[in-house]
Amino acid sequence: MKTIDAKSKELREVNGALRESLNGGPVEIKNAEDLHGLAAGLNRGEVVVRGSAGDYLGVLNSGGTIRVTKNAGKYVADNMTDGVIIIEGNADYGVGQYCYGGTVVVHGNAGDFTATMNKGATIIVNGDVGDEAGTYMLAGDLVVVGNAGENFANYLIRGDIYIGGEWKSLGHNTKLKSLTKKDIGKLEKYFEAHGLDADPTGFKKIVAASEKPFYH
Amino acid sequence: MGVVGAFCVSVNREICINAQMPGKCATCAEVCPHGVYALDVETGQMQIQNFNACVGCRICAEFCPANAIRINPAESEYISRYPWTFSAIEEVHHKAQTGEYLLRGFGTQGPTPNFDMITVVPSQIASEAPRDKYREECNMQVIIGEDTCEKPMILKLPFVWPAMSFGALSKEAKLALAIGAAMTGIATNTGEGGLLPEEMWLSRGYADEKRKQKKWEPGGSLVVQWSTGRWGVSAEYVNSGDAVEVKIGQGAKPGMGGHLLGAKVTEAVSEVRGIPVGSDALSPCRYYDVQTMDDMKHMVSFLRDVTEHKFPILFKLGPSRPYADVAACIEAGADAISIDGLVGGTGCSPDLVTQGVGIPTIACIPPAVQALKDYGVYRKVKLIALGGIRNGLDAFKAMAMGADAVGFGSAAEVALGCRVCYACHKGNCPYGITSQKEEFRARLDPVEGGERLANFIRATGEEVKILTMLSGHSSIADLSPEDLRAMDLNTAALTGLKLAGFERPLPMWEDGFVGVSGNGKK
Repeated sequence: MKTIDAKSKELREVNGALRESLNGGPVEIKNAEDLHGLAAGLNRGEVVVRGSAGDYLGVLNSGGTIRVTKNAGKYVADNMTDGVIIIEGNADYGVGQYCYGGTVVVHGNAGDFTATMNKGATIIVNGDVGDEAGTYMLAGDLVVVGNAGENFANYLIRGDIYIGGEWKSLGHNTKLKSLTKKDIGKLEKYFEAHGLDADPTGFKKIVAASEKPFYH
Repeated sequence: MGVVGAFCVSVNREICINAQMPGKCATCAEVCPHGVYALDVETGQMQIQNFNACVGCRICAEFCPANAIRINPAESEYISRYPWTFSAIEEVHHKAQTGEYLLRGFGTQGPTPNFDMITVVPSQIASEAPRDKYREECNMQVIIGEDTCEKPMILKLPFVWPAMSFGALSKEAKLALAIGAAMTGIATNTGEGGLLPEEMWLSRGYADEKRKQKKWEPGGSLVVQWSTGRWGVSAEYVNSGDAVEVKIGQGAKPGMGGHLLGAKVTEAVSEVRGIPVGSDALSPCRYYDVQTMDDMKHMVSFLRDVTEHKFPILFKLGPSRPYADVAACIEAGADAISIDGLVGGTGCSPDLVTQGVGIPTIACIPPAVQALKDYGVYRKVKLIALGGIRNGLDAFKAMAMGADAVGFGSAAEVALGCRVCYACHKGNCPYGITSQKEEFRARLDPVEGGERLANFIRATGEEVKILTMLSGHSSIADLSPEDLRAMDLNTAALTGLKLAGFERPLPMWEDGFVGVSGNGKK
């Protein structure tokens, strides 16, 4: 596997080297915790970030597979349209915001405003999420295996939110729905695909109360 | 200040087709965006049902086949009953009855400080002699990102179409803007509603996707907007244009995000934006993915990275604290900064925000210029003035105050046929400019519209050229505030321009912008 040492390098240099190397199999990047926007806009290939990553990891990802062996900073997978991003540790504020597609899996905990304005991606957090997770989601799935903070799913417009644990408070425009067989099948598939030890039968599902909550 | 109750509607029943033959004509009821007229289905008679709702756009008069309609402003109302004018009363009644605040489209109504009390100073014998428009050349070109980008964006004339989204505008209007830009070598802008595929080739002057032969010379540029709602945005999208514009705000509703009501989110709009049909597309007021100034710098850096450092990164600001905001855009790494003034337009906004929030355009430009000068990037990082610029005279004044280029948003809609009815948010635009309905859109041909827009730009370009040359310059880059005088104290106080007759700036402006505001360097 080709390795890029990002230590004291500029974003342009590291991402340039990464794009050049993608066709030759998986690329490993180390010492990247101070780089913001690592692996931006990839449309293919496989990247392993050894250690932790900075902010905006995999922003505008449109088909790359990115795995981080430790933690990630803010805005993981920002505006992703396709591909897979896996964080083996924790992720900070704003995982999977503005995504249209693809999958994000955080094995640890994720911060506030996770999956804000998700428009079609699958965002799975094996641990807990912070406050305001799922704000103004328009499509896609948010799956939280652990607990959620305040104002969970605030102003949900469309899309499905599943949670295994508890929330501190539920946001506006939300309603609880029971899981269908299809939901359970979908969650089982997600858990199996990403090696998560969770049982979907105890999960709760949150959907939008109204599709047009602001202007009538 | 609304316009409700400000107009008298009269129909000459002697020539009105419906009055002569009930049931025969309902044109006024069909075209009025505000429901002033109603057809009684039982009798077939047309009636003025709600004359208070008239906003004076005169669309009905234009469409009336018998030329039977007259609309007259009820001006005396505003003098004799102010401040409790009929419109003020109607607005309170509306809220009392519905519990809802007013929404509307277009821009600010009523007088606000503007370019009209500024005059252009011509050359005579003491200053540089005038240039001859008919026999000499004048450089009108603007290049954005010349020193910073691999593919700088070239404007053949110092004009842009500012961001207006597909959704707010119809597809036909968006394509007309792209064609108009191609015919004149200026830039069109996707706005925040995603990209119509046709915009990519039409804006560059090609009639079809294959781009074999250029149909419209010289071909224009396409700016793709990166905004807080991120509608239809992907890595491919940011690479589809000649520049990426980071939207911070806009003149009509600074501090708020874009509003596109569900009524206009049709199948086609939903596809381009990637959102459900009929949902309200309300953009957040700020970036969920920016919390600090460092984040903003990182955003610019990944946008440059994803676009491989080819294209300029532009910023668009609403009118707030122009000195500090422009300074922040420079720090974030902008190649050009648009600043949109108070009267800048919109497809939909709460009435009070459009009406009462923001700094007038003429007061935004001098602090913005000062910030560029203090950072040593004046004329390198380009300044684009937006908001209420209607013609070559306004454009020249904005450029002499220090802008490198100007944008025509509302004026572009008017060039397409708009009569300013303030109902852009309703989706019933009878000219098909801001409507998503087939029957209205069929009235707007993109090529004809593009020609109208190109004509407007050409004529306006000539106007700017006349003024540039008669004031002794052969390049728009040489314009300066010395080419202008304020004609009243208010304008002199707001802009720092020399007061006509007094021939100096007002005493408080003697030390320049820093002496007035405490911001900036001497």
